[in-house]
Amino acid sequence: MLKKTAIENISQLAAVLMEKGTLLAPVKEVSCHNFAEISDPQKVDLKFYNTLMSPKSAFFPHREDFVKYKVGKPLSEAEHTILNLKPAFLFGVRPCDVKSFEIMDIHFNAAGIIDPYWRARREATTIFGYAYDINQPVDSADFYNTLGIYAADPEGSDIFMVKKDKELLLKSITPKGEKLLAELSALEKASSGDEKYYEDYIKKGKDYKTRFTCVDSEVIAKKIESIFDNTDFWTKMSAACLSCGICTFSCPNCYCFDICDDTLFGKGTRSRVWDACMFTDFTLEASGHNPRTQVYQRLRQKVSHKYSYHVRKYGVISCVGCGRCTRQCPVNIDIYSIIEAALKA
Amino acid sequence: MTDFKKIEENLKTEAGRLLKEGLVTVVLSYGKGFDENHPMPYAAKTIADVENIVFNQYCNYNMARYLVRYPQGTKIAIAVKAADSRAVIQLIQEEKVKRENLVILGIPVQGMKNPKTGEVIDSKTTCGLYNPVLYDILLGEEVHGQKNALPYEVLAEYEAMDKDARWEFWEKELNKCIRCYACRKACPMCYCDPCFIDQSKPKWADKAPQSPGNMMYHLTRFHHLAGRCIDCGECSRACPVDIPLYLFHKKVAKECEEMFNQKAGMSIEDKPVLVDFRVEDSDKILE
Amino acid sequence: MSNNPYIPMPVQIAKIIDEVDTHDIKTFRFAFLNKEDEKNFKYMPGQFAELSIYGKGESPIGIASSPTQQGFVEFTVQRAGTVVPGLVTSALHDMSEGGEIGIRGPMGNSWPIEFLEKKNIVVVGGGFAFTTLRSLINYMLHKDNRSRFGEITVIYGARTPGLLLYKDELAAWETRDDIKSVITVDKGDDNWKGRQGFVPAVCKEVAPSPKNTVAVICGPPIMIKFTLPVFFDLGFSKENILTSLEMRMKCGIGKCGRCNVGSKYVCNDGPVFSLAELEELPRDF
Repeated sequence: MLKKTAIENISQLAAVLMEKGTLLAPVKEVSCHNFAEISDPQKVDLKFYNTLMSPKSAFFPHREDFVKYKVGKPLSEAEHTILNLKPAFLFGVRPCDVKSFEIMDIHFNAAGIIDPYWRARREATTIFGYAYDINQPVDSADFYNTLGIYAADPEGSDIFMVKKDKELLLKSITPKGEKLLAELSALEKASSGDEKYYEDYIKKGKDYKTRFTCVDSEVIAKKIESIFDNTDFWTKMSAACLSCGICTFSCPNCYCFDICDDTLFGKGTRSRVWDACMFTDFTLEASGHNPRTQVYQRLRQKVSHKYSYHVRKYGVISCVGCGRCTRQCPVNIDIYSIIEAALKA
Repeated sequence: MTDFKKIEENLKTEAGRLLKEGLVTVVLSYGKGFDENHPMPYAAKTIADVENIVFNQYCNYNMARYLVRYPQGTKIAIAVKAADSRAVIQLIQEEKVKRENLVILGIPVQGMKNPKTGEVIDSKTTCGLYNPVLYDILLGEEVHGQKNALPYEVLAEYEAMDKDARWEFWEKELNKCIRCYACRKACPMCYCDPCFIDQSKPKWADKAPQSPGNMMYHLTRFHHLAGRCIDCGECSRACPVDIPLYLFHKKVAKECEEMFNQKAGMSIEDKPVLVDFRVEDSDKILE
Repeated sequence: MSNNPYIPMPVQIAKIIDEVDTHDIKTFRFAFLNKEDEKNFKYMPGQFAELSIYGKGESPIGIASSPTQQGFVEFTVQRAGTVVPGLVTSALHDMSEGGEIGIRGPMGNSWPIEFLEKKNIVVVGGGFAFTTLRSLINYMLHKDNRSRFGEITVIYGARTPGLLLYKDELAAWETRDDIKSVITVDKGDDNWKGRQGFVPAVCKEVAPSPKNTVAVICGPPIMIKFTLPVFFDLGFSKENILTSLEMRMKCGIGKCGRCNVGSKYVCNDGPVFSLAELEELPRDF
């Protein structure tokens, strides 16, 4: 099913979705866009390239509360957080970010013990993917083509959207999307011309080029393994690295977290909070031993995790080439360049 | 206007010479990034490395940040712009590096740009000086006859706010913080190991990005940089969520200057202002 | 969200045993407050659990009791932290019998019981790192299990006699003829009648032949470092040397990404690894 709406009327669609549940969509901040829970439908803003932070927080918020407790009281008196989620709509997700959800699903929702929070949030959510605007230039940091993702890949979205001049075309991809799209009476029916435009757009998306290097997951995994002890290489790659956490926080695929008890006046909350393997104390043990005291060891861990360990454990690279880590890095460290260099090392 | 190409040439020449003659083991300057608009901080250690050195209007990193990574005694050449040279001076005052171990390559420059926004950064977020305060070798023409931008002009709007408004302002701004610690990591003066915020006993603040932890982190950091911040603006440029950290630092620097008649990092003869007690010191700080 | 893996089960401290003369290592015996939890907490020797105290945090600790012991689960806990203060272990040490804490687990793999069956076992332990070895020994010694294993040799050392754990059990093993137990201390005192000497040297002297034998080794890094060559020299293969790793952990269930060594999560794929498996991993621990 294909429907459409004028982009200037997007707030009407937003209002309808807000009636049905929680709407998460891009909003404009000072000098960037970010996904936010919408309380004013006028705030939904599709004039963005990509959001500063990835949309992973829709399923894996920066802080997820597990339990509220009182210090010294029996455990049975602690209040467990119950996620009674309304249906949620994650609106305007770029194809590379949609792909990141599938990769995160393996970790949180398929392999080993299931993460109940990720699963609950994921199941409650309908994803509106949104193709990159192929009439605008690509950002020089992006490299999602390298990971086999294209600017207008509908895969993984429930409903996929493309921009047609001043209109937005919405195509249902999954049964879940089909059902929702049928209910959205605020939308107009699309014409056969629109159908053709949509199909062409998807095809043209393949020719919209980001940076590209031929990366086979098995080859790169093996290569990265083989240069683990090449300290010169990693020292060079990390020479500028400040060891801050912005690359991992903005990454749609980084999932490391800490479990923290925050207590004030005898009451507290146990929650999980994003953590970063780039932080010095990430692996500091109670004994004082720390296997990764050096910047190069931490950057090596980050790159190896994405391009080697994750392949070994789950079969796929844990990176979608969205370019956020490169764009946000205060010193322009570029994981794409590191991968290119690693292949040659 | 600044001749960036000329400075790059001079930088390469001097770096090559210093490494070749064995006067230094590392040259801290700027290198190629993934494209022209995104150069990177760069440590040249061999003569072959010198080829990778670049200098353009986006090279606004304060390389003094990297000085403390090297063991005391390492002979280092460091490329510095105006504010960066003040960081080096401040680090010398704080005995983190020794003057005799440094070859300071001064770069007079105007019109540096923030690679993320394309904005000229001169005095809005930096100290407004064009010429390095301290150097051994100057790599370009000193800027003269150009009125220095005033470092505290940008404070006007902030200072017009009353106490409550300022509190509200910082509450709102600091609420945006995602605690990636890029500000502290980009800061040449933030070298504490461990930083108070990483301690677990006592634990000073929650890890989650929220008040009061965000307040605790930033206000403590702001105050720890009182009289030490050399106004390079690296923290503000590193911040992914555009918190105007420079406003607080500039405000404190201004007060410090008014009270003690001393600016951070202007002379290696100075003592850090909050370490040095002088009978004639202002009592305003106690009020 | 029933069976939420992040929510601890309540247990009560049934008994506290002060193990060493420095009083910084205690064994805590916990009884489950909910029968259902006790039933679900099925573990094998070598596994660990997160001990959880609201307001302090969680700490991963190896299980020191054996699954053959019913009605409780035991952990031997050192008051940790010279660099990173052990908030949980300190709080636990300050608690008394009757106190309540939380527990999440069991977690991790275990000593590979099936692999050990029909083989001779030499258990080598040093100092505080004897806890899951004790679990294994007690498991093997249980009357229902003893016949599944060949000869059992235990070599256990501590710095001083006062630092030996489980003193009553060590004494009891001495009197049994189905286990050969060799206890050593680095330096004895006036009352010490036993052996003196470092674990690696003692191993060289008393370790059994490598034929059909598996060595299970746990101890401080320095002991491991000098003990491994002894077993290589004796002819033990890397597949037949097992050890247990420690990394900083948080979730304990392979989600939080903290304790990886290469593509393995110590909490989930370990903590037990053979030396052959360890050599496959990058040196990142």
